[in-house]
Amino acid sequence: MLLERRDPQTGHSDNAAREGGLSRRTFLAAGAAAGGGLLLSFSLPSLFSPVRADPAGSFAPDAFILIDRDGLVTLSIPQVEMGQGTFTSCPMLVAEELEVDLEQVRVAQAPPSDKLYTNPLVGFQVTGGSTSIRAFFQPLRQAGATARTMLIAAAAATWAADASTCRAEKGEVIHVPTGRKLTYGALADKAAKLTPPDKVALKDPKDFKLIGTSPKRLDTPDKVNGTAVYGIDVKLPGMKFATVAACPVFGGKLKSVDDSKALAVNGVHQVVHIDDAVCVVAAHMGAANKGLAALEIEWDEGPYATLTTADIVADMEKVSEAEGVVVRNDGDAAGALTGASTKLDAIYEVPFLAHTTMEPINCTIHVRKDGCDIWVGSQVLARAQGPWPPRSPACPWSRSRSITTFSAAASGGGSKSISSLRR
Amino acid sequence: MPFEIKINGTDHTVDVDGDIPLLWVLRDVLGMTGTKFGCGKALCGACTVHLNGNAVRSCVFPIGSIGDSAITTIEAVGATPAGQKVQKAWLDLEVIQCGYCQPGQIMSAAALLASNPNPTDSDIDAAMSGNICRCGTYPRIREAIKQAAQGSQPAEQGG
Repeated sequence: MLLERRDPQTGHSDNAAREGGLSRRTFLAAGAAAGGGLLLSFSLPSLFSPVRADPAGSFAPDAFILIDRDGLVTLSIPQVEMGQGTFTSCPMLVAEELEVDLEQVRVAQAPPSDKLYTNPLVGFQVTGGSTSIRAFFQPLRQAGATARTMLIAAAAATWAADASTCRAEKGEVIHVPTGRKLTYGALADKAAKLTPPDKVALKDPKDFKLIGTSPKRLDTPDKVNGTAVYGIDVKLPGMKFATVAACPVFGGKLKSVDDSKALAVNGVHQVVHIDDAVCVVAAHMGAANKGLAALEIEWDEGPYATLTTADIVADMEKVSEAEGVVVRNDGDAAGALTGASTKLDAIYEVPFLAHTTMEPINCTIHVRKDGCDIWVGSQVLARAQGPWPPRSPACPWSRSRSITTFSAAASGGGSKSISSLRR
Repeated sequence: MPFEIKINGTDHTVDVDGDIPLLWVLRDVLGMTGTKFGCGKALCGACTVHLNGNAVRSCVFPIGSIGDSAITTIEAVGATPAGQKVQKAWLDLEVIQCGYCQPGQIMSAAALLASNPNPTDSDIDAAMSGNICRCGTYPRIREAIKQAAQGSQPAEQGG
């Protein structure tokens, strides 16, 4: 197995340029890959929104398979790996139908695109709500089966044999009557010239070799030796590190700040003041933290300065006594309650909880003249690209792109990291 | 002021204030990002490295206090006998989920086994109690430490 290596300097994957050069049209059909080989994309109607099945062409492809001339299968995974195993489970779905071993699969994070990589159950590109397998179980198998079918067709054409006399196994197509074999790598160019079939047969579950097993996770080796790149590990040449003191109360403002001592700290480059926060920019986080501690800040804590948890709970209690909004009304609940022999009356409360992720919320932004790159371990890849508030003219959102890393800042909190980005 | 420090057998000169924690020298100055930042207050253990073989929290360890001591990080712990066994056990038993705390877990476990090759359950708990895992991989961490201590092959892992 190969996990795609990202260049820690740029965060770019080896094949990022190849991915970046693909137009949407390219995604819609199989074709020759830029570096030679078979590129297969697939489309599926979103299960979420019937609008997407509109014949005007809103079928959106969700992922693609790349098989190069060496037979290496690169699979772009739309879902983010944050410990739940998507970088193993999603490849298993493709590998099962494609008839390759997991060792032959290389895993790449799909680029952000709500159009191309929509989670069919949710309606945009999101990893969350335990939907990854439910949403992609069928589509990823279909992708693998389509590629397998085309590779078999290419082999059958080469041998002037009937495709029904050929079968695929471990990255090869075998002509059963004669025992002849061709590798997927050798077939990739030929398969790329074929028209993808409209319908393909998925394997019968009784024939599953991978699905239902627990193979070793593909992301473990890099996570054992410290080479796995999380959002916080992205490093760029000349990069600066910043930390933020935000107003401790939502809705509060910065009243005044004396940053003279912070600016005197060795390694601190700049102190930035915004409406409700102060940010220290430094050569490394050690200096940034030291600078932050040296700030003398006065906050105007605003209208919620004295608001307490008890106030919020009391407010909710009060609101809960009012008539609610009827979302559904099935059967005769009122009648059933009236006739019930036992009635239970209970109040359930949950406290305000932080996600307490191990990886602190972070992101890396490279602002260029013509756009910006954003590295973030986000659960909502495409949303990290904007739109951005107008106060960032240096960062035209239409030209920004987000690059997703392994994430440990998730646990459900990764979808919120974008709100901190927006600040 | 410049400090000479020895990390994973290599000498480095770094020009930072003496009170800057080793963690930031490793990660931001030298670009060795295997050692993780979790809390910055020695509460979570993600930043654990070895100082002369002992586990220390690099997020609160000032660079000026290191002197001639040898530092080992996750990037090189596999070259030590205990580190190698621990990493192998971590792979065999599939300890990891998100993986963010695991460099620290592995460093703590390797330091434990280097000084105590046959730890009891309570030895393991004592040595590992400062390393937090948000995914809750603790049962597998304990099993992996036991396997590494035995240096034996793992039992067949079903599921």
